[in-house]
Amino acid sequence: MSNDILFLAEFSAGKPARSAIELATGAADLAAQSGGSAVALAYGSGAASGGAALGAHGAARAVVLGDEDRPAITYAPAAVAAARDAGLAVLAPATPNGRDLAAALVGSLDLPAFGPVRAARVVDGVLESEQATLQGSVITTARPADGAPTPSVVLVLANTFTPAEGGSGTAEVAQAPDAGESALSRATVAESHEADAKVVNLEEATVIVAGGRGVGGEEGFAPLRELAEALGGAVGASRAAADAGWIPYQLQIGQTGKVVKPSLYVGAGISGAIQHRVGMQTAEHVIAINRDPDAPIGEFADLFVVGDLFEIVPALTEEIRRRKATSGG
Amino acid sequence: MKIVVCIKQVPATGADKRYTADLRLDRTGVEAIINPLDEYAIEQALRLADAGTADSVTYLCMGPDQASEALRRALAMGGDDAVLITDAALAGADEWTTAKVLAAALDKLAPDVALMGMASDDARGSLVPGAVAAMRDVPLLSYGSELALADGEARVRRLSATGFDWIAAPLPVVATVTDQVGEPRYASLKGIMAAKRKPLETWSLGDLELSADDLHGAALTTVTDTRAPEEKPPTERIENVPAPEAAAKIADWLEQRKLI
Ligand SMILES: Cc1cc2nc3c(=O)[nH]c(=O)nc-3n(C[C@H](O)[C@H](O)[C@H](O)COP(=O)(O)OP(=O)(O)OC[C@H]3O[C@@H](n4cnc5c(N)ncnc54)[C@H](O)[C@@H]3O)c2cc1C
Ligand SMILES: Cc1cc2nc3c(=O)[nH]c(=O)nc-3n(C[C@H](O)[C@H](O)[C@H](O)COP(=O)(O)OP(=O)(O)OC[C@H]3O[C@@H](n4cnc5c(N)ncnc54)[C@H](O)[C@@H]3O)c2cc1C
Repeated sequence: MSNDILFLAEFSAGKPARSAIELATGAADLAAQSGGSAVALAYGSGAASGGAALGAHGAARAVVLGDEDRPAITYAPAAVAAARDAGLAVLAPATPNGRDLAAALVGSLDLPAFGPVRAARVVDGVLESEQATLQGSVITTARPADGAPTPSVVLVLANTFTPAEGGSGTAEVAQAPDAGESALSRATVAESHEADAKVVNLEEATVIVAGGRGVGGEEGFAPLRELAEALGGAVGASRAAADAGWIPYQLQIGQTGKVVKPSLYVGAGISGAIQHRVGMQTAEHVIAINRDPDAPIGEFADLFVVGDLFEIVPALTEEIRRRKATSGG
Repeated sequence: MKIVVCIKQVPATGADKRYTADLRLDRTGVEAIINPLDEYAIEQALRLADAGTADSVTYLCMGPDQASEALRRALAMGGDDAVLITDAALAGADEWTTAKVLAAALDKLAPDVALMGMASDDARGSLVPGAVAAMRDVPLLSYGSELALADGEARVRRLSATGFDWIAAPLPVVATVTDQVGEPRYASLKGIMAAKRKPLETWSLGDLELSADDLHGAALTTVTDTRAPEEKPPTERIENVPAPEAAAKIADWLEQRKLI
């Protein structure tokens, strides 16, 4: 066993997902504590050509599991072969694909599972992690049981590690050991349907303006979009708004939508139901705009603005544009 | 076609929950419900049964004795029979253990589809389904907003980055569905009465030919500490002011935090 810290790195068209860059940074930090190296398990289109660039974010090596656009779970046999007896921990992004591959490692290699975690550190040669449980009401610290097999499999929430930028390292790229097939690699894409409009990946957004039932309809999102633009951010939604068909499900935030961790979240016309809250409560700054002074979101927002969103949101957009113009920025 | 729906009993959403002195979830006096996301798996299975695609629907739950209530409630919605796996040696079970036990039970039940929720309400690992699939060496079809079965194959409709895909794999499979499959039905009074007569078996680890030793105690993980989340500073409020003034105050707040 080595003290390496492995991490799953998803690629698309040669570009690493933001989660891959964050986990490279986190793995490098943990590897410095454990006395090992940060090793990427890279998969997806362009992983082979793009893997080396993870060195700039702290990865010493990149093991390429496969270089095609296919369901992430089909990379499970290669991931299992690469993770067998390899290091202290495998970090996986707490995204649907990351969870599927992490689960395959847990089940195939009988490994301890953690997360989704919001912090991790190496203590006495063991990976210890912190997780918010019971809908965020309790923070638990956990570690592998004595004698548990390694590596530990750790799901990591977005923005747990701040990406290290400006590095110049190059990761050494290698092919994963030949793993053959397993039942898990038998899933195929039978049909693919693209939406007309481009949809942003909310997991990567640093500013989100989210709208709920209070937005009242598809048109009601227009002022939110303008505010998002002024702030350099993206638009998100509650399930009520997505269920109503006002916005694509890809933009739903919450337990069954995206778990986001932007530096700024603005919620307009959203009441703050627990299932929505678990998707955004780790945002660094939360502003809520709601005309109900007793809306539950007012209990956990940092700034609660009581009023009509159709008056406040456009006024705020105008104010921000004005200030940006005068500051020359 | 045989479907087994795996359901977890969890404390009611929003209930006041605590950990005990030995760092386990204190379940005394907390209302227990079917994991809300598993109700969608039940609904999906029952729709396939209504359509005549599924011949039988069995529920499987690992949990304490009281979890039989969750199984009765599921049977009241529909379906044929249920199995509760309970054993003192399972107290404090983690995801690996849960998967190991469910996989052994599924080996015995041998369904075409083991259907699960996309996550549990309390622990939210979403790792059990994939781990079960890996242990049983069957394909995993996850996060379906719909499950379709035909010609020895299962398909799920899954959101992609911009649209959606249909992902397919040969049976048998483990599949998980989301809350987009359609609202779960209510149990009718007739359903509740009928459920009382439906078969509900209880299995112990011995029935699965597993022992506490096979399960590494009950867990590969251990919780070493629990604490309350960091206290947030109190919410600042802006109210009873005209919109332009509110906007200026919000902008000041953003500037102070270097967010604009
Ligand atoms: C299993 C399960 C999973 C779920 N998953 C999710 C999830 O992932 N994400 C999610 O969001 N929800 C989820 N939900 C649904 C959740 O419980 C709530 O129903 C939902 O979040 C409510 O959306 P909302 O806040 O937009 O609507 P509402 O609760 O109806 O709130 C609308 C708010 O808008 C305010 N408002 C109205 N008009 C105005 C105006 N002109 N100006 C200002 N304010 C106004 C109102 O005061 C109100 O507070 C889930 C539920 C279940 C059971
Ligand atoms: C005696 C006893 C005590 C337990 N005490 C606790 C406790 O204190 N806290 C706790 O969280 N859990 C407890 N469990 C349950 C078990 O430990 C958890 O189910 C397990 O950790 C699952 O992890 P998860 O919630 O992250 O599942 P996820 O991977 O998020 O669940 C995904 C899906 O897997 C299926 N699934 C998960 N767990 C079960 C299950 N148990 N039975 C059937 N289907 C399931 C469901 O379809 C679910 O939607 C106990 C079990 C027993 C037998």
